[in-house]
Amino acid sequence: MAIVIQPYRQQHESAVQDFNRRLQGSSGDPNFVFSQSAVPRWLPPSADKPVWNEFYVAIDGSSNTGPTVRGVYALKQEVMFVRGKGLHRIGCYHHPLSEGIVDRSFASVGALLARDALAQQPLLYALGMGGMERSIAKMLKALGFSLTPIPFYFRVVHPAKFLREMRALRTEPWRASLMNIAAATGAGWLAIKSAQAAASLRSRSASPRVDFTDEEGVEFSDWADELWAQAKETVSFATVRDANTLRLLYPPNFSSDIASTRGLRVSRNGSAIGWAIIGLRRKDPKFGEMRVGSIVDCWALPENAATVIQAATQALEKDGVDLIVSNQSHHAWCGALEKAGFLKGPSTFIFAASKKLTELLQPQQENPASFHITRADGDGLPVNF
Amino acid sequence: MSKFDEVRAVASDILGVSAVSLNVTSSPETIENWDSVQHLNLVLALEEKFNLQLSPEEIEQMKTLGDTAKLIESKLHTSSR
Repeated sequence: MAIVIQPYRQQHESAVQDFNRRLQGSSGDPNFVFSQSAVPRWLPPSADKPVWNEFYVAIDGSSNTGPTVRGVYALKQEVMFVRGKGLHRIGCYHHPLSEGIVDRSFASVGALLARDALAQQPLLYALGMGGMERSIAKMLKALGFSLTPIPFYFRVVHPAKFLREMRALRTEPWRASLMNIAAATGAGWLAIKSAQAAASLRSRSASPRVDFTDEEGVEFSDWADELWAQAKETVSFATVRDANTLRLLYPPNFSSDIASTRGLRVSRNGSAIGWAIIGLRRKDPKFGEMRVGSIVDCWALPENAATVIQAATQALEKDGVDLIVSNQSHHAWCGALEKAGFLKGPSTFIFAASKKLTELLQPQQENPASFHITRADGDGLPVNF
Repeated sequence: MSKFDEVRAVASDILGVSAVSLNVTSSPETIENWDSVQHLNLVLALEEKFNLQLSPEEIEQMKTLGDTAKLIESKLHTSSR
């Protein structure tokens, strides 16, 4: 009996747990894990909602031990805005896992999963993936997806701790020693602060007023609808960020056992000019013991982007983070990050658009800097921001 | 040229191994380069070469190069009727 892909139901939960155990046991990678519940905790399916997650499982009926899960994936169904072409339903392909990762005899499962997702939703994208060299990115490229890295920015708040803890930069012993010396002497502090100040100065030509207030635990309502309507024509492509969608994406004070986010409403003279979602990232070995904050999502007219980024940065610094990171595609938001002293780093956060989606995005596909893609798109919450 | 030889030539090109090192029992378990990405590349290359579409069930049947050649031969035979 062939492998059959079907919606993940409660009766599959124990088989998914077995699948998780096999993947984690053989790979030793705790990230190879799929939802133990058939009902998504974040964005459960609902007929009357604009955005939801669907889970699928690849069932192998030929196993001696009964129906066995050999692969899984999630499809986030959402609505996107394309300037000049209106609203379209699209899908985000995320969390694909195949038994082929640990057992070559299931090498076909990855292809089955990706093709099934494309059949479900030809207007399909994937986001993140950890770089162009990862299997998932290569597979999507083979299927005709166009791949674009989304710029990555970081701001070091506490340079000495950054130099001590940034394990991704400390892979060579000589480099680790140099970083230890730099951390101890203050030379590293000086170098990082200088680079950030230079980045900020380079883009300070049209500095906006920065009087803002932020209100934590914000609830998205009419004011967010107005902001969406005001600013949507300034981007060529974005997933919808009206109040109704935002309330689903960012339930007030959403938190899980490993990560949490909160919203900021940024105002000037009492009127909302933008919003941001900020969060403290989960522990990650590559960041050592650092507290890493993330500007997860944001929205405003381009002329107010710098104010919103400044508000988000200050709120995270107040939270005591050591490092702030963000991924932004739109040139106004990239400029706003640079104005706030963020440095641009190499990006492994890849936007992959299916052939059909690429066609729909023409001619804008030629200029991804007019897209509004952030860390919140794709699988986004609850952990991968 | 037999259908197996044609499939083997495509697989050799995709997997980056010499054709003589491939036989009917060659599979992802015996060829190091044959991972999930290369499996998809092989599917796409075979579809293009033989101008056919492979269903999920058929992709799953491609356990070995011999299975794959038989599958392609059967599909071509069916479509030529």
